[in-house]
Amino acid sequence: MGRKTMKRGYTELGGVFFILMCLAILSACAKKQVPIQPELNLGTGIRESGAPAAPPAGLSDWNDPRWKELGIYSEAELNEFLERAQSFENEDLFFDYDAFVLNEDNRMVLDRKVDFLRRYPAVSVTVEGHCDERGTNEYNLALGEQRANSAWQYLVNSGIDPDRLSMISYGEERPIAFGHDDASWAVNRRAHFVLHY
Amino acid sequence: MTKGRALKMSAGAKVPAARFLRVWLVVAVSCLAWPAFCGGERAYIDITRPNFEKLPIAIPDFKWQNRREKDLGREMVGTLRKDIEISGFFRQVDPALFPGDAETIGVTEKEVRFDRWKKIDVEFLIRALYEVKGGSLRLEARLFDVVNGKRILGKVFEGRAGDGRAMIHRFVDEVLLTLTGKRGIFETKIAFVQVEGNVKEIHVVDFDGENPVPITRDGSISLSPAWSPDGARMAYVSYLEGSPKIFVLDLLKGSRRLLSGYKGLNIAPAWRPGASELAATLSRKGNPDIYLLTDSGSVRRRLAGSWAIEVSPSWSPDGRRLAYVSGESGSPQIYVLEVEGGEERRITFEGEYNTSPAWSPGGDWIAYSGLTGGSHEIFLIRPDGTDKRRVTRGGGSNESPTWSPDGRMLAFSSTRGGRSAVWITNLDGTESRRLTKMAGSQRLPDWSPYFTDR
Repeated sequence: MGRKTMKRGYTELGGVFFILMCLAILSACAKKQVPIQPELNLGTGIRESGAPAAPPAGLSDWNDPRWKELGIYSEAELNEFLERAQSFENEDLFFDYDAFVLNEDNRMVLDRKVDFLRRYPAVSVTVEGHCDERGTNEYNLALGEQRANSAWQYLVNSGIDPDRLSMISYGEERPIAFGHDDASWAVNRRAHFVLHY
Repeated sequence: MTKGRALKMSAGAKVPAARFLRVWLVVAVSCLAWPAFCGGERAYIDITRPNFEKLPIAIPDFKWQNRREKDLGREMVGTLRKDIEISGFFRQVDPALFPGDAETIGVTEKEVRFDRWKKIDVEFLIRALYEVKGGSLRLEARLFDVVNGKRILGKVFEGRAGDGRAMIHRFVDEVLLTLTGKRGIFETKIAFVQVEGNVKEIHVVDFDGENPVPITRDGSISLSPAWSPDGARMAYVSYLEGSPKIFVLDLLKGSRRLLSGYKGLNIAPAWRPGASELAATLSRKGNPDIYLLTDSGSVRRRLAGSWAIEVSPSWSPDGRRLAYVSGESGSPQIYVLEVEGGEERRITFEGEYNTSPAWSPGGDWIAYSGLTGGSHEIFLIRPDGTDKRRVTRGGGSNESPTWSPDGRMLAFSSTRGGRSAVWITNLDGTESRRLTKMAGSQRLPDWSPYFTDR
C-alpha cells in the first residue's frame, strides 16, 4: 500500500511538525462552511458555520512564488484555485450507520477531488474520518479510520500519489452537528478533507 | 532529558498529576492487640449465603479528646456512615435509638454496654475516638460484635489533621476485610474523561466522588484512561501530537512518555495482568487490529485481526485470555481469544451492537454495553457466553463498564441524567448512584486497582 510505518523515536522537529499539522487541521475545521447537502433538513440541530476558508496570510498576492509552485500565474487563476479549493474542502463524503463503504455519490465527489488534485499536483490532503455520537468511542475511532481509509484508497487507486495524502480518525470526538437526532447524526458520519498548500 | 534514552519524553512532560497520590496518606497504622480477626484470614460473616440480610450496625458520633474540632469530627463520622452505606452489607440503626451520646457511649470493649445495644437489635457497633494536637490527628476506631460481646477489629491511625477522611476509608476497608475476607474499595479511585467544549482531559476522583483532580492539562482530546495493574501508571490516548497516540503517565513522578505513536490509530490501551505488556488497537498495517505491545511500545505480535475492526481489548485476570470487539460478523460483537493457543470464540449473539467488554477481577464475568430496544445497556455474561444478565434499567445510554477491584460494583457512563456522567451500580442493578456531579460531561471511566501501601 505504500504507507510508511511511523518510527517511534521521531525527532523534536518531527514533533513540532505534528503540532503544526494539528493546528492547521484545527484552524481549517473552525473556518469551514456548512457542507453542501441540500436534501438534508437540519432544522433541529445546532450548526457550526463560519467564514469561508481564507488563503494563508501574506499569500493573496498572485505574484507570490508559492502560487507559481501550484501552477498559478494570474489573478484569475488564483481566484479559480481558491474557489475550487473551497469547494474541495466543503464537500464531505457521507456514510450509512456503522458503514465505511463508498456509495455512488461518494465516488462522484471523490472523482471531482481527483480532478482538483491532478490539476494542482503540489497540494496535499489530510483525509479525516468521523462518526456520529452513537456507539462506543473506541469503536468509532476505528470506524472513522476505516471511513478515511476508504476515501484514501479510492484516491490512490485513481492515481494520486500516496505521499500527498494523510489520514486521521476523530471517531465521534469532533462532531459538526450537535443535535441528538437522525439529521445531526447523518451529517457527522462523514469523511472530511483538509488541503495543505 | 537525555536523547539517548529509549523512551522519549514528549514536550511538556511534567503533568499536574497525581500529587494526590504522593501526599496521599502518611499514616502509621497499628493493630491494637487482638489475637484473631485483625488480619481477616477468614470471613466473619457469610455474605454469599442465599438469605443474607443486611446487618444492623450502629455508628454513633465520635468521641473527642483534647480539642473538639466539631467540623472534623462531623466530616469523619459522615464519611464513615457513607462508606458503610455504600458497601451494601449494612443497615444503619437510627441514632435516635442509641443508649447515650458520643461522650457517654463506651469506646473500648470494657466500656461498651453490649446488653443495651442488643436491646435495640444492633449486631455491630463502631466506636471511634479522635485527638487533634497541633496539625496532627490521632484516630482510634473499633468494631464490635455486639451479639458475642467482643471487639473484632481495632485500629489506631496517626497522620495530619487533613487525613481524617483517608483514615476512615482505610478503616472501612479493614472492616470489610475482617468481616467478609475481601478488602473494601474505599481507597480506590476512578479515572474518566472530562469533556468541556472541544477539550477532553483525564480526571481522577475518589470512589465516592470526592476530590476530582485533573491529571492531564493538554488542551486537546484525551481518551481511554487505563490504570496499570499496580496503580502507579496511567495509559491514555491523546491527540496532543496531532493523531491518536498512546501515552503513559507515571503518577508518582508526574512525568509522561509516548508509548505508541505508529501511523494511524493507537487506541484502546489495556495492561496485561502479570506482565509488562499492553494490548492496543493499531492500524499501522492498514486495518484496525489488536496488537500486543511491550511497555516500551515495541510491537510483539498481532493478537486479533480480520477484514473488519478489532478494538477494545480486556484481559482476563490471569492474563491468558482477551475479550475484545470485532466487526467481523458484520456487526460489532464480543469475542474471547485464548492468547497462547490463538482460538477465538464469539460470545455475544443477541443484539446488533455489543461493545466495551470488561473482564471481572474474579474472572467469572464479562460486563459489556449492548444496544437493546434502542438504548445501550450494561450486561453481564459468562466468559463462555452463557448466563447473560441485564444490569442497567435507568434509562439513557449506558456504556463503558469498569469493575471495582473487589468485583462487587461497576462504574459506567450514563446519559440518564441528561449529559453523560459516571454512575456506579451493584451487579443486579438495584442500587445505582451518580458519581460525578461536575459541569461538562464525563465518559470512559476506569476503576483503579487496590493501591498497595507506599
